[in-house]
Amino acid sequence: MYDELEFSHCSHSKDPIIGCALEGVANVIAGIKDVSIIIHSPQGCASTVATAFDKHEIDFTRRKVGCTRLFETDIIMGASEKLAGMIREADRTFNSKAMFIVGTCSADIIGEDIDGLCREMQPEIKARLIPVMAGGFRGDSFAGIDMGLEALLPLIPKQEIKLVNKVNLILPQSNLNPTWQADLLWVKEVLREMGVDVLSVLPHNMALEELEEAGLASANILLSHDAGYKFVRKLEERHQIPFILGDVPLPVGLSNTARWLRAVGRYFGAEEKAEEIITRGEKLVVDTLRKRALMIIPRYRNCRVALSADATLGIGMVRMLFEELEMIPELVLLHSGTQEARELLVNELNELGLTPGVAFSVDGYQLKQAISEAKTDVVIGSAWEKYMAEEAGIKTSFDLLSPTNRDVYMDRAYFGYEGMLNMLEVFGNDWERSYRSKAINWEQFA
Amino acid sequence: MSIETTFSDSIVFHGPLSELYQLAKEGKIKTSLQGSHTRPCKFWTATKILSGIQNSVIIAHGPSGCAFGVKKAYKLTNSRNSGSPYEAVISTNIDMKGVVYGGEKELRGAIREVDNKYRPDVIFVSTSCATGIIGDNVDAVVDSLKDEVNAEIMTIHCEGFAGEYRSGFDLVFKQLVRLMEPRDPERTAALAKSVNIVGGKMGPERTEVDTDVKELVRLVEGMGAHINSVIAGNCTLEELKNAPSVAVNCTLCLDLGYTIGKEMKETFGTPLNSTILPYGISATERWLREAAKYLGMEAEAEALIASEYGAIQQEIEDARAQLEGKLAIVEAHDAIKALSIAHMLEKDFGMRVVIYNFHPWSTEARETSIDYLLETGMDPEVLITKGTLKFGKYESMKQTEEELLAFLGSVDPVSTVYFGSSLSYPAIPVVDLNAILNRPRFGFRGSLKVAQCILTSMQYSFRPRSWLTKKMVFPEQSQGLASASSLTPKWSEEAPDCTLYAAERRKGRCMMN
Repeated sequence: MYDELEFSHCSHSKDPIIGCALEGVANVIAGIKDVSIIIHSPQGCASTVATAFDKHEIDFTRRKVGCTRLFETDIIMGASEKLAGMIREADRTFNSKAMFIVGTCSADIIGEDIDGLCREMQPEIKARLIPVMAGGFRGDSFAGIDMGLEALLPLIPKQEIKLVNKVNLILPQSNLNPTWQADLLWVKEVLREMGVDVLSVLPHNMALEELEEAGLASANILLSHDAGYKFVRKLEERHQIPFILGDVPLPVGLSNTARWLRAVGRYFGAEEKAEEIITRGEKLVVDTLRKRALMIIPRYRNCRVALSADATLGIGMVRMLFEELEMIPELVLLHSGTQEARELLVNELNELGLTPGVAFSVDGYQLKQAISEAKTDVVIGSAWEKYMAEEAGIKTSFDLLSPTNRDVYMDRAYFGYEGMLNMLEVFGNDWERSYRSKAINWEQFA
Repeated sequence: MSIETTFSDSIVFHGPLSELYQLAKEGKIKTSLQGSHTRPCKFWTATKILSGIQNSVIIAHGPSGCAFGVKKAYKLTNSRNSGSPYEAVISTNIDMKGVVYGGEKELRGAIREVDNKYRPDVIFVSTSCATGIIGDNVDAVVDSLKDEVNAEIMTIHCEGFAGEYRSGFDLVFKQLVRLMEPRDPERTAALAKSVNIVGGKMGPERTEVDTDVKELVRLVEGMGAHINSVIAGNCTLEELKNAPSVAVNCTLCLDLGYTIGKEMKETFGTPLNSTILPYGISATERWLREAAKYLGMEAEAEALIASEYGAIQQEIEDARAQLEGKLAIVEAHDAIKALSIAHMLEKDFGMRVVIYNFHPWSTEARETSIDYLLETGMDPEVLITKGTLKFGKYESMKQTEEELLAFLGSVDPVSTVYFGSSLSYPAIPVVDLNAILNRPRFGFRGSLKVAQCILTSMQYSFRPRSWLTKKMVFPEQSQGLASASSLTPKWSEEAPDCTLYAAERRKGRCMMN
């Protein structure tokens, strides 16, 4: 079990490190091709939508966003006509197959009837209109992801038959993992090797029509511990598609990757292939580290680590850090707090015999407090935690993770075997930078 | 159909700035922005200015997304660029329950918590759309806690729907004056040789970072005067309190600087030196001479001007000889910069300037600068094409690019220079003043930098523009909506300054220094 950290002065104020529900909803929509978004909101919310597109790394030619730019009179008098005009103009200009009409805080609170308007206007609009209410007060971006996925549910038709060895990957990108695209490629590749085809990736680079096939899948795999659980449960309930691998951490580090691959192998009858991938992958890691890392890994032995991460990567990293790299996870600070993630983390910590300080759904203040008070040797997080570590007098921090990965640009996986090597490369480089000789205070040796 | 005929069909306005200004004022040209021309809202712009005040905490009363967005855009970028400590932007994290029952209790708790845990000098409570609509009485909450909390506390009513993006800047600059203390003889004497640079924004904007402001600071100090504060560019509460007692306020951005400068003048009588952004020699000289009048340092200013100009005179004169009479097309995506560059090119280099795609909306946002130009005898041509007013992003839209090329088809390409983004593709010399080598751009050294840039562009204009970049920016299947600006949000957030390109990772220091 863990020691859940308690923070004073945190019941009314939050220094948020993730966005609001609008960003989450926009993240889901941004993963769908050939659609446009009209946000019924003041103009600032367009920046939040842009952030969602940025995180998705959407080709700028595919960004079709209109905003009704609500002002005071609209708030007082209502702005349905303005929205109707915007829908017509966007339909003419964007020429997209579907148009999501998203209400944000203002439209949501003043009670704009977006559903009704969409129904009324649909006959005259070429694009299929899909209304979504996404007031930021409805939750954080993880909650928004769940809301966005929920809006896709009615678009998935029931299918009588299920296709053997075909899966849906549920990949809610706003889990903020900076390397999610490469991780997705890795997952697809190993599944392919095990004879498993991916029917659809929800929601990434998919056409709306692909949802029609999603109901044919024989299993759903959720590649997140931060969001998407409600969606996969509903798919299970309504479409009888089992949610698999929910009880193992995602494939981060050697042991977890092997566990994950074996679980896939067991479900799809591809145990031998899984063992082959594991053997090959572990050999790759060992051979590579033998050449490059004998000077890296011993540096970290028994160093006390503060890990600040989303649950998706964070939970998997705990075992890698402790068992494989011989570090001591002293603090585990997760950016979300789903019940599923909590249970998974407890299982991991119990198995490992660890009792670190743990906090869920942390904010900036809590991160800083925890890092400052724990006096760890190393901080693993983003550039943001790096600044905090500097202020706390911690010399070494690894800039590996989101939300603000600004100093390191990576487009390589963290999942799987090469993923572990990629993480170690960041560790090695950051360590070298931390101890550049020019930073040494020579007077201390006088 | 000839190019000229085709092009004339796409012109919305072509004439002097004064005429556009008049048409806009009379409502004879559409000045509103399209729904796709998104700008930050009042909440973002207000909090951007507030982000430039040290040891202050912004409590965004609303859902968490508003606070997260501005923090990511401003506070974190500042922290990264300047190496300054990370400062929080707090949210009261209003949820559905708060929207239904009101969030005053949460706000009250948040103010107490923030005062206790961060011990800031100032707490700014900014309102968001959600709390503005549900009608939380923020003023009453703030007033009731004033005596209880240690920090100074101020409400900023900046709901996103409550005004255009410019209104957030003005609102905060006006309100900051309330934190200031009146001039008194002791402070006035102590600050008799000091100035404030007002109208700055400590954010990721290129006009505000590092080298440009530092160049102004260097010039002021070179004259023998001092800087009390750059408001609001990483200034302290103490500096704000003392600010009214300086000899003169010098505007950085004329429009925003005028807002606070005028307010300070009316409230405290602090003199104001308001000139256009100090791009170019004539604007810089005016900036320094006006400041010197109030500092009683006219002789020092003249000596500085002579020495600074002397160092670059030959090169500037050579440049002028090559540029005089040439046509300059100045892209107007950043309206204030376009006006200031137009001023420099005409006054310093004798070029004929056409400001391209100055959105009529900008006439309202940039009134002060336009008035300044017109009053000082400048009235540049403005060319607005249909793409500018079309739904879809107007900055570097494929349509506006084609319209630009069509326009250039009717002018002499040999004697024309384009000042704008490197992502535009006219087959004439292109000068991008945001390129990393062009620092500083203010002051005398800035003039030389700009001149060198123009000459380099002309010298290498024989090289075709990069087909690779063109293919990326203007894809064939873009339906005319592709916009280079769509490329930039992430990029601008992550690469806001040339510090990124420094050979070593030197946070807070620019490679030009």
